[in-house]
Amino acid sequence: MDMNLAAFERFAVHFQKGDLLFCEYEPGDAFYLIQKGRVQISKIMGDIEKTIDILQPGEIFGEMAILEEAPRSANAVALDDVKVLEFNRANFEVLMRGNPQIALKLLKLFTKRIYDQRRRFMILTLDDVHAKVADVFLMIDESQPSKDVGTGQRVFYTTPDDIGHWAGISPEKSREVLQHFVSQRRVEIYQDRIVVRNINDFARFVNSRRKR
Amino acid sequence: MPKASTYKANSVIYFQGDVGDRIYILQSGTVSLNSNDIETGEEIHDQIKTGEFFGVKSALGKYPREENAVVLTDAAVVVFSVPEFEQLALSNTRIVMKMLKVFSNQLRRLHTKVSGLMQGGAQSSPEDGLFRIGEYYMRKKQYAQAVYAFNKYLTYYPSGRHQAEASRHAETAEQFAQKYGSGKGPAAPGFQGGSHGNGETDGGRNAGGAASGGGGQNLSDSAKAYYEAVSSFSREEFAKALEQFKQVAASGGDEEYVLKSTFEIGRCLFGLERYDAVIKHYTGLIQKFPKLPDLTEALFYLGRAYQESGDTARAASFFKKILSMEDVDEGLRRKVNKAVRALEGN
Repeated sequence: MDMNLAAFERFAVHFQKGDLLFCEYEPGDAFYLIQKGRVQISKIMGDIEKTIDILQPGEIFGEMAILEEAPRSANAVALDDVKVLEFNRANFEVLMRGNPQIALKLLKLFTKRIYDQRRRFMILTLDDVHAKVADVFLMIDESQPSKDVGTGQRVFYTTPDDIGHWAGISPEKSREVLQHFVSQRRVEIYQDRIVVRNINDFARFVNSRRKR
Repeated sequence: MPKASTYKANSVIYFQGDVGDRIYILQSGTVSLNSNDIETGEEIHDQIKTGEFFGVKSALGKYPREENAVVLTDAAVVVFSVPEFEQLALSNTRIVMKMLKVFSNQLRRLHTKVSGLMQGGAQSSPEDGLFRIGEYYMRKKQYAQAVYAFNKYLTYYPSGRHQAEASRHAETAEQFAQKYGSGKGPAAPGFQGGSHGNGETDGGRNAGGAASGGGGQNLSDSAKAYYEAVSSFSREEFAKALEQFKQVAASGGDEEYVLKSTFEIGRCLFGLERYDAVIKHYTGLIQKFPKLPDLTEALFYLGRAYQESGDTARAASFFKKILSMEDVDEGLRRKVNKAVRALEGN
């Protein structure tokens, strides 16, 4: 990356392989731009640590912290020896003005986050819990490039608990709703995946439940 | 090069749902961004001020337009492609900084709304959450990480409710890290049993504060077995599902899943066309649990089983009974009506 970062060396922070940069639930007051090494974003679910993403040099993470000191929503672990630029409220303006490319990058990241949050909000504002769950599948489907648009069948490598999380309902409720879809033959549940028989049927169903 | 463009009153610059890669600045005239509030469906009219950008988010983020851009009075705009806009932004940080502020405000508002709608009980409090992360790393013998999490806990919650435990664990983790290194050595006191100790110690703690949060993450054995069976059922492997449900039902495990499985046994029998067995199963079940939560569905399978075995009179009386009950699921009501029509056709 061809950026004028030399002047900002004093904001650089080093981590050793395996170090936690931050962990979930910790209040966050800084975000990071990776300069060297890879960072793994993960979440602890029950008894496993689930990798959400692996970030490369040039990528920004933890950016929600600049909005408010909200608790971190995931762990960030150094996969290699890592060097990051640390942005906080105090140095934010200086760093951004000096690095329009980072500012632009952050702007793009925000447009994506706004879209994602809006999409989640659309799910959560549905009254019908079955529609919420169906809409979660639609949301995931929109974000995964479909290889086969010809048929309505879609495979999701996810679990009832994850679906419940996105729908803002308890894991128990999520399983109950999915079970209902199973009994209607609209969904099949396997150990590692959930199959939606006809995603278009879900789209029609959700649309009929949305306020206009 | 950015292009100047004019639009007549009542024309539309772009429609909601369009995929567009153009960004606009309003030079003169009036443009309104019209959309519907996600929550209420109410119409929102957002008038663009002269000199203001619009169409930025969808163009930069490459997603469909979220509003109709309607021209109210004859308007002049300058149109940018994304690369042209980026060029401008790089030479004029003020624009980006201003937009960052606007976007981060929007994002913050959305974020607050979304968090507000997330199930309150389903998420642990940050305090408990942070402490449990430390415990997780202790169990995994990732001592450096455990030290980090417990120390953060003690920094942010110096008189928190897990304070004593956290400082004890932090100390142990530090000793173990030095003595044995990461991932090695015996389990720390209180963390014996490795990854499986979790069920007992944590389960008790979860029961108080974050029951629903923890419940989903530590599926009990009966729950796992139950979902295995459900999965067989959904593949219409009824014989296999029947055996699996029977095992859960007989396991004496988690009561919820024992009951659910007992119920599902009847549906498997129905799938296997063993109608006498269905009748026997559900009759027994209803006698044993007159307030069965899935009573209406049990009655439906009883009716269907009688119907399939040719006893239309009994079948009809069961269907009538369901339709006379309050609080019948819409889907079930439809199924019952369909079954009744089939009976009448006979």
